[in-house]
Parts: sequence; structure tokens; C-alpha cells
Amino acid sequence: MKKDSTLYVVLFTFIVCAVFVVVLAVANEGTKDLVAANKQFATQSAVLGALGIPYADAAEASAKYAAEVTEAKTTDYRSWKAIVEGTSYAAVEQSGAGLWGTITIILAATADGENVRGVRVLAQLETPGLGGRIEEPWFLGQFEGEKSPGGKVAMKAGAEASGKADADKANGRVEGISGATRTSQAFGSIVNAGLERIKAGGVK
Amino acid sequence: MTPLINPVTLFFASIFTSNILLSNFLGMCSFISISKDWKSSFGLGMAVTVVMTITAAISWVVLFYVITPLGLEYLSFIVFIVVIAAVVQILEMVIDRASPALYLSLGIFLPLITVNCAILGAILFLQIRSYNFLQSVAFGAGSGLGWWLAIMLLAAIRERTEKSPVPAGLKGPGITMITIGFMAMAFIGFSGMIAVQ
Amino acid sequence: MKNSKAYMVLKDNLWTNNPIFIQILGICSTLAVTNNVRNTLIMSAGVTFATALSSMTLSAMKDLLPRKVRMIIQVVVMSFYVILLDILLRAYLPDVSKQLGPYVGLIITNCILMGRAEAYAAANTPLMSLWDGLTSGLGYMAVLVAISIIREILGFGTLLGIRVMPEGFVTWTIMIMAPSAFFFVAMVMWWAKTVQAKGKVGQGAKPAAPAGAQPAAATTVANKETSK
Repeated sequence: MKKDSTLYVVLFTFIVCAVFVVVLAVANEGTKDLVAANKQFATQSAVLGALGIPYADAAEASAKYAAEVTEAKTTDYRSWKAIVEGTSYAAVEQSGAGLWGTITIILAATADGENVRGVRVLAQLETPGLGGRIEEPWFLGQFEGEKSPGGKVAMKAGAEASGKADADKANGRVEGISGATRTSQAFGSIVNAGLERIKAGGVK
Repeated sequence: MTPLINPVTLFFASIFTSNILLSNFLGMCSFISISKDWKSSFGLGMAVTVVMTITAAISWVVLFYVITPLGLEYLSFIVFIVVIAAVVQILEMVIDRASPALYLSLGIFLPLITVNCAILGAILFLQIRSYNFLQSVAFGAGSGLGWWLAIMLLAAIRERTEKSPVPAGLKGPGITMITIGFMAMAFIGFSGMIAVQ
Repeated sequence: MKNSKAYMVLKDNLWTNNPIFIQILGICSTLAVTNNVRNTLIMSAGVTFATALSSMTLSAMKDLLPRKVRMIIQVVVMSFYVILLDILLRAYLPDVSKQLGPYVGLIITNCILMGRAEAYAAANTPLMSLWDGLTSGLGYMAVLVAISIIREILGFGTLLGIRVMPEGFVTWTIMIMAPSAFFFVAMVMWWAKTVQAKGKVGQGAKPAAPAGAQPAAATTVANKETSK
């Protein structure tokens, strides 16, 4: 068969594509369970993190999640309940528009929405190194134990932002990321929406 | 979850505040080599815009009606590349029929567009951000225009720098990189101009 | 004989014909993720992996490959390895996969892969193509890691996540953002070209340094322009 004949070209392309697609399909199938397990771990560790329940590794995370966290029966969104260090907290999944895509967080707070327990980011598409810093410990750490009077946390972003974490837990304010004003503002809105959700009392 | 961005806003935002080339760094290679020449830049920019808009639309359709229902997400890259290659091939044939003069001037660029990271990048972004059809088209068109704008600006600047006394080691790509850096900084100034929310 | 050929390829890809500052390839997707060293290492490792394997595969196929579909097959092969890489990252290094996001897919359009496929794999043995791809990736990695080290230290105050700058250090936000990458690549190009031009002047019979540097720099620029 001549290399440049149409039949050869079509056959060759078809066989090459078929071989590759098959290999990829096998790889995909083979790793499916692992990927699903990773996803589950990501959610569980985010919930544990937001609730402030420490864990050493994936196994312990799974165990603690099963033991201490209850999945609540909400329909439009996922939520959880837990009693940590004597206080009862509700945790909700909250999504909102970030600068470039949807940001999804897990927010844990007291049922009245007046005290934030913690926040973890589940998914975000912000600029790496800028808006993407919302996942960094210094930023999220500001929310841990922060008071949220009236169920709102004030985000200092833009010209007012100092770029350093706000250490005062009683003032109900957190610092945004310098250079990432819009993402910081979006994040603030999402946190407040999450607090609204918890206050609305759906988490039973 | 599809973000609640107005397609028109998204269109303008993709041109200025999140220029696919100056903010996301996609489409650099042909950008650097072609921007030496003003006319070629114009032609290539136009071709890129057309290809981006069309492929964004087609890719969305394929994504929505073929890939997602059949659970073939892991094959997305290959499918998108094939769509791009096909669109470019067809475009090449159409241009050849419609205007042989245009075909001659654009000539070699069309195959180059197939591997232009900006096009695949735009499609990947619209997949990740779950844009709907109108948003995808607006995003594709805006990104293409943004790329076109950037390459025209760079071509114009390069015409000046070619005649300026630049240190030997910086001549050519070196000074071009610095120019692009400044352009990127300038475009950062646009952020906040359009509320993409 | 083979040894010195391998060495020549290595030297070529790491220095004389470095993908970034001489060939100007692969600037795209990696400039975006090089604001910290960890992501840079992983991205460039991914590019190296994909380039090496696709060059090898294409070289093995080159006698069977029909001319008409050459480019499409090249792209399919590259996509294959990149998707494989993506699948492996998602399964075994999920947080890395999340950080790199769409930029993993963009390795497919990284001009280095296509560049090496056309320039080397089309005319050399699979084993040498593998080596060529590997060394190109390394040349690429070297430049990017160097740039990212500076960017991370000045932009975050850390290196691989470990704090290196003193507490009171005010980070240079510009280092994290787009433009700084361009400036650094330009600096690297300037340095490399000047050094290479001096080398040429030293070897050749050219007279004074300034007059010699100009044509040497001009030839390298001309070479780059004809190659892409």
C-alpha cells in the first residue's frame, strides 16, 4: 500500500487514534477509583478543616469524619453538623462567583451565624499566585474563630488592604489579598452568603 | 456551575482586563515571531479572532452534546485539538476560494494557528469555567480580539524599537520581552474597569 | 561516536540552542505558573516527559507516517502523553493537579513539543529523539527554575514554601504577577546572548569586540527567525 494513498492515510490515522484512545480509556478506568477517593478526601478534609478537627493523614481524616461529623439533610446544598470542643457547629458548602469562575467553600460557624469556626476552599479558578492565595493558611486562618456580628464578616480589600492577616478576632474584619482585590471581595461575599445560609437554619 | 456573567461584559473583559495574551500568557510564540511585521500581524490577528470564535462555539456544542453526556472528559484535549485543526483546515480552503490574495499573505500562518496555545487555552478555560453557549462565544470573540489588539500594539512598538539603539544582547527577542512586560503592566491597569461579576 | 553525539545534543539544548532564550519556544503556558518554584518544577517536568516521549514515539513512527496527516498525528501523539500525564496527576498528586489547572492541558500546545518533533524526531532515531526531548526539557526547566527562584523569593519571601526572607520583608507583589516573568526572560536572554557572542568573538577571526558582537547577535537573531 502506498504511503500517500487515501486508504493508507485514513487507515493509519484511524489505527493510531484508536490505539491511543484505548490506552487512555484503560488509564482512565484504572484510576477512576483513586480519583473518586481523592475527591472524597478533599471534601472530608475541607469539612474537618473548617470545623477545626485535626487529623494526621487520610486514614485518620476518614475515621474522624465518620465519627464526629454528621451529614445534614439539606437538599440544594451539602451541609454537616458537628460538636467540637463542646460547641455545636454547622458547616455548609457555599458557591459564588469569583473573578474568573466559581469559588466553592466549606464554611463552619455557630448556628446563629455570629461566630465563624473556619473556612476551607473546595474549588477555585482564580489567578495562581494572586487570587489563588485565598487557599493559603495565613488568609484562611483569619476566619478561624472570627466574630461575625450580624452574621457578616467585613473584608478589607483594595486600597485599604494591608496584605497582612488581621489578627484581631473580635473586630469582625479580615484582610484581603493585596493585588487581588476582586477575588478578595468575591470571597468576602461568599463567606457572608454562607453565614446567611447557616443562619437561615436549614442545617438540621 | 455556570457563572452569572453577562456575555457582553465578558466580551469586553476578555479584551482588556483579562487579555488572553497579556494576562494569561497564551499565544506567545507566534505573537513574538510575527509581530515584527505590521501587515502580517494584522492578518494573523484577524485569522486568530475568526478561528477562536468559531472553535469556541463548536467546542461548546461538542462539549455539551458529546463529551459530557458520554463521560469522555478525559479525551477533551484530543477532541478540542481535532476541532481546531478541522476548523483551520476548512478556513484555509474557504480563504483560498474566496480571496487568493488573502490566502497568499496569510499563507503559512494558518497551520501555525492550530498550535497556537491561545485557542486551545480559550477552549479549556470555557470548559473549566462552565460557560454557557453565549458566554463561550463572547469569550472566544473577546479573547481573539484581545489577542489581535495585543499583536497590533506590539508590532507598532517594534517598528520603533527596531530603529532604536538597543544593546546587542537585547536586540530582537530580548527587547520584545521587555516591551511585552510593560504592555502587561499597562493592561493590569485595566483591571477593575469592568466588573466581571 | 554515539557518546559525543549525545553530548552535542545535550550542550545544544542546554545552551547553544536553548529552547527559551535562543529558540524562543515554550514561552506561553509556563510563564503563568512560574511564580513559585514547586509549580515550575512540576510543569517543566511535565513538559520534559511529554516532549521526550512524543519525540521518541514520532521518531519510531516516522517511516510509516503519511505526509498529509503529519501535523495532526503529531498533535494526537502529544495530546496522548499530556492526557496521560493529566490522568496520573489527578490520581496520584491531586493538589498539584488542582494548582496547575488548565495549564497541564496547555502543554500540548507548548511549542517545544512541536518544535522538537519537526526539527529532530522527523530525522533521527527514537533513542536519540528521546534524549533530544529530554535535554530540551531540561534546558527549558533550568531557565524557568532559575527565574521562579527569584520570583518566589522576592514575591513570596519563600523558597519551595520555606520562608527564607526575614519577617519584616515586604514582598514585591509585581514578582507574582505577569510582567516580571517577561522582564526576567529578557534578562536571561541578554545575559546568554552576550556570553555567547563573546564566545564567538573569542573563537573567530573577528576584529574588535563591538563590531564582532553585532554580527554575532544578528546571526543568532536571524537563526531564530528562520527556525520558527
